[in-house]
Amino acid sequence: MDNRNQSKKAITPANTASDDGLLIDQLSVLRGMALVISKLSFRQRAGEICCMTGPNGAGKSTLLRAIAGRLSIAEGSITCSVPLVYVGHNDGLSGAITGRENLAGWAKINRLLATESDIDTALAGFAASRFSDLPVRVLSRGQRRRLALARLALAPSDSLLLLDEPNAGLDQASNDSLDQLVRRHADGGGMVLAATHLDFAAIATPRSLHLAGITAGMTAGKSSGLTHGGIE
Amino acid sequence: MSPFLAQVERDLMIAWQNRQDLGVMLIFFVIIIALFPLAIGANSAVLDPLGVPAIWIAALLAILAGFDRLFAQDVRDGWLDQVSLSRLGLGWYALAKAISHWLTAGLPLLIMTPLMAIMLNIPTIQWPPLLIALLIGSMGLTLLGVIGAALAEGSRRGGALMALLILPLAVPLLIFGTLASQSADGIISPHLMLLGAVFAVLLALAPLVAASALEIGETETGL
Repeated sequence: MDNRNQSKKAITPANTASDDGLLIDQLSVLRGMALVISKLSFRQRAGEICCMTGPNGAGKSTLLRAIAGRLSIAEGSITCSVPLVYVGHNDGLSGAITGRENLAGWAKINRLLATESDIDTALAGFAASRFSDLPVRVLSRGQRRRLALARLALAPSDSLLLLDEPNAGLDQASNDSLDQLVRRHADGGGMVLAATHLDFAAIATPRSLHLAGITAGMTAGKSSGLTHGGIE
Repeated sequence: MSPFLAQVERDLMIAWQNRQDLGVMLIFFVIIIALFPLAIGANSAVLDPLGVPAIWIAALLAILAGFDRLFAQDVRDGWLDQVSLSRLGLGWYALAKAISHWLTAGLPLLIMTPLMAIMLNIPTIQWPPLLIALLIGSMGLTLLGVIGAALAEGSRRGGALMALLILPLAVPLLIFGTLASQSADGIISPHLMLLGAVFAVLLALAPLVAASALEIGETETGL
């Protein structure tokens, strides 16, 4: 039951041969009855960092969850030929066990060969070694975030990192660590797609994707409502 | 270590940290059984035939009572998102959940059962068929609970809905289980074989049903 790349319903195998990376074609996503993303096309190649911007509710998280296969797609297709690593609003950590156990468990269910020292390095990258042996439930919001982001250091080098507000609750030092990690990942041939309000990775952002949001719900009948911001 | 064993290990570690839940479940099991003689009165002609059914009903309620939170915590933590992107797959994930839940709920009940059998004055000759039937029955109930918990995850009012869904489906296990436990023709009775057949069907279906329920529940309702 290996569902990493192929199980997402809308992925069309015909497109995968063309190029490595992420290809979004005429994507529309509904949440409830509301159209959140409409006819979005976007392409990202290996080694690229992309920052998504846009107001609250413009569909940034929705797009990331759709790429991760956690939302069904109303129309269009998403094709991704590389492993996905997703860090969303929820950190994916169990409060009952320690940060180190959480991280090691994550590596194991992904069949990543992470030795003790790899995990130590990943934790040290976000200065998380000090609290990694405490149960996660006693940690602060920012500390949990750092444990969740420590996964990225274990990710395969060709993977696509899907980051949803990765720096929410982070202190300045961790922000810098994240910047470095993201740039190192891109230099190594990986991809990063991040939704962020802050100037995360601003120095090294070759591309950005602006989601303007859809106003159709408010002004029904106004056809221009169904447009999206372009891609620079 | 395979992703499957890693998931079982993770759940066992979490269960160990929450081990007071196990105590609550065992006390629940003992109290339900203790209520039967209290309600019926000290008449051994009436009580004796009720011993085995009392253990079965208590085991059924105690096992299913722990299920409403089986997937809820993983969904809230965001672990389910990580699992769905991992090399584990939702079907194996559901099976891993069933195994760890049985190890932390079904197995302790089974260990408690001889004590309960003494309390209910069940003759020792009845113990082997009772324990074997309860072993298979508790594994079957666990698989049913996994289906129910996965289905309930899609809806917001999990617990109550799950009881409604699962209790009718537990009837075949209860019927064959109690008959096999009281069988007069040795341990391997026809009822035990039928109980085993129900378990085998559940073992094949439960991971698949739970996987699609978790996928649908998550994708249709959003978060």
